[in-house]
Amino acid sequence: MREQLDILLYHADGFLIFFYRLTADPFVNFIIGTICLAFMCVLIGELTVSLALKYNKGYFDEMAADINRKENLSISAYESGDKTSYRALNKEATDAWGKRFFTMIGYSAGMFWPLPFALGWMQTRFQDVQFDLAFPLSLIFGESAGYTFIFIPLYILCRIVFKYLRPKLPYFRGIQKILDHPEKP
Amino acid sequence: MRKTMTIFMLLGVLLILTAPFVLPDNVFAADKLAEAIAKAPAGTEKGQIDATAQPGFLGIPGAPKVNLIVGLLWAIWVGWVFSTVGAFGGIMAGVGHITIYGLGAYAKTFKDTAPALNKFVTDSIRVSNQWLVGLSALVSSLNYNKQKRLVPALGIFLGLGALFATLLVVFTTAGKIKFSQYQGWFGLVVFVIGGFMVYEMTPKGQSGKKKAQAAVKAFEETVKKKGDITSQGVKTLKWSLAKTEISFFGQTFTFSPIWAFVGGFFISAIASFLGIGGGFLYVPFLTSVVGLPMFVVAGTSALSVLIGMIFAIFNFMMLKGIMVYWPMIGAELVGIFIGSMIGPRTGKYIPNKVLKGIFIVLALYIGLRYTLRGFFGIAML
Repeated sequence: MREQLDILLYHADGFLIFFYRLTADPFVNFIIGTICLAFMCVLIGELTVSLALKYNKGYFDEMAADINRKENLSISAYESGDKTSYRALNKEATDAWGKRFFTMIGYSAGMFWPLPFALGWMQTRFQDVQFDLAFPLSLIFGESAGYTFIFIPLYILCRIVFKYLRPKLPYFRGIQKILDHPEKP
Repeated sequence: MRKTMTIFMLLGVLLILTAPFVLPDNVFAADKLAEAIAKAPAGTEKGQIDATAQPGFLGIPGAPKVNLIVGLLWAIWVGWVFSTVGAFGGIMAGVGHITIYGLGAYAKTFKDTAPALNKFVTDSIRVSNQWLVGLSALVSSLNYNKQKRLVPALGIFLGLGALFATLLVVFTTAGKIKFSQYQGWFGLVVFVIGGFMVYEMTPKGQSGKKKAQAAVKAFEETVKKKGDITSQGVKTLKWSLAKTEISFFGQTFTFSPIWAFVGGFFISAIASFLGIGGGFLYVPFLTSVVGLPMFVVAGTSALSVLIGMIFAIFNFMMLKGIMVYWPMIGAELVGIFIGSMIGPRTGKYIPNKVLKGIFIVLALYIGLRYTLRGFFGIAML
């Protein structure tokens, strides 16, 4: 398996490094290439998690409805002054929430799985590249920082940009609705 | 035209997906790792580094190569556990890093010959565990913000507690914890979790469920008349360090920011140290100990988990130079995703009590085994 993966990596490297060679300035190239890489990670992650949400939508809706119902019941108990029932129902709601929380880890894995591979590829190319940091960042992060320091904020930026693009993209509009209202049946 | 565009987009995505799938074996070592390797004695025996050997985990010459297929399969199991039982998945992920992939056994070989390397590998295992919890919190907290479920005062104090705890843990333990110590503490916490799971199966532990069932019957009709309460949102009415009042659906709830800070501190300390526990402990703490409704707690605690994990990962990796093995993390994320997809489809065929019984046995076994090996060096199980 390793040899086949090395061959894949060889071709991937050729494809990815293209985005780092678009201009004459090395720093600008690094930023452009990293933005492209980060955006690819966002897109792949979004596509992956959309499969999960479509495949298990019924289960997801069932969980959301269960949490919603138990939350409502616990508040009604609190409103009526029945503290014992409130605590018991609150615990039920917490247990239901817990199940959903850990299911979300699975979905999160679907969203973020490209990142380690992207960072790992960057490590092979940019491990020894250091960027000098200006004051006051140098007080917190040290005199210089590596590729991770650039990649992660750019990834977050790409995620934010994609958030605004998503309602306009044909396939992702429906996915956004599911993500926005997970607790509604 | 639209169909053609869709096909081209899908082809483009397929190209992207097949290209950068994995990473080479020879991951470059960071300065700290290079220093730790340099201090290890040279040779081909256990506890020694053979500079001419093939690089393995983290690029260490002669280190075991994490079998990505094993990693993927174990992670599918972890994902399955996450989506059927829940919390125990984090423990299973930790077991993968410690035992299944052979990293713990490898770290142990340097216990006496190269303690710095032993501790570096241990820290890498800890940070690898933390990635999973942090990622889930990121997704959760973004969604809860849109639903007006975040309580700023609660989140800030939980977050401050988390921040202090992670800074304390990272700066006092990074590079200082031997693998056996980590294994011992991990085992102890798993044992305690197993104990709680056993308690929940006892008649006293089940009594809460019976009360809840009775309460459901009592309040179901009332809830149907009220309709959806989730659009109400939460408002902060009064704030002080001793007592903060919030209102939700016309009801007033109080909590002490000091308790939130204390809870955030201890829970985050466990999560930063072990890489497990932070995700799910906040909510039960806030609902059972502080007494807040789950509606209010869920989003705010997700934000605090996120803050804690970001700080822990950042401090370990950026400030302390701890590395993780990216191919392993990547394969695990893929496996966890697959497992989480499968879980809902298969979980309904296995009764909940049977599942819990299996995991109680696993928790007690792992807890006992790791505690004995870690703290006492006893390889009984």
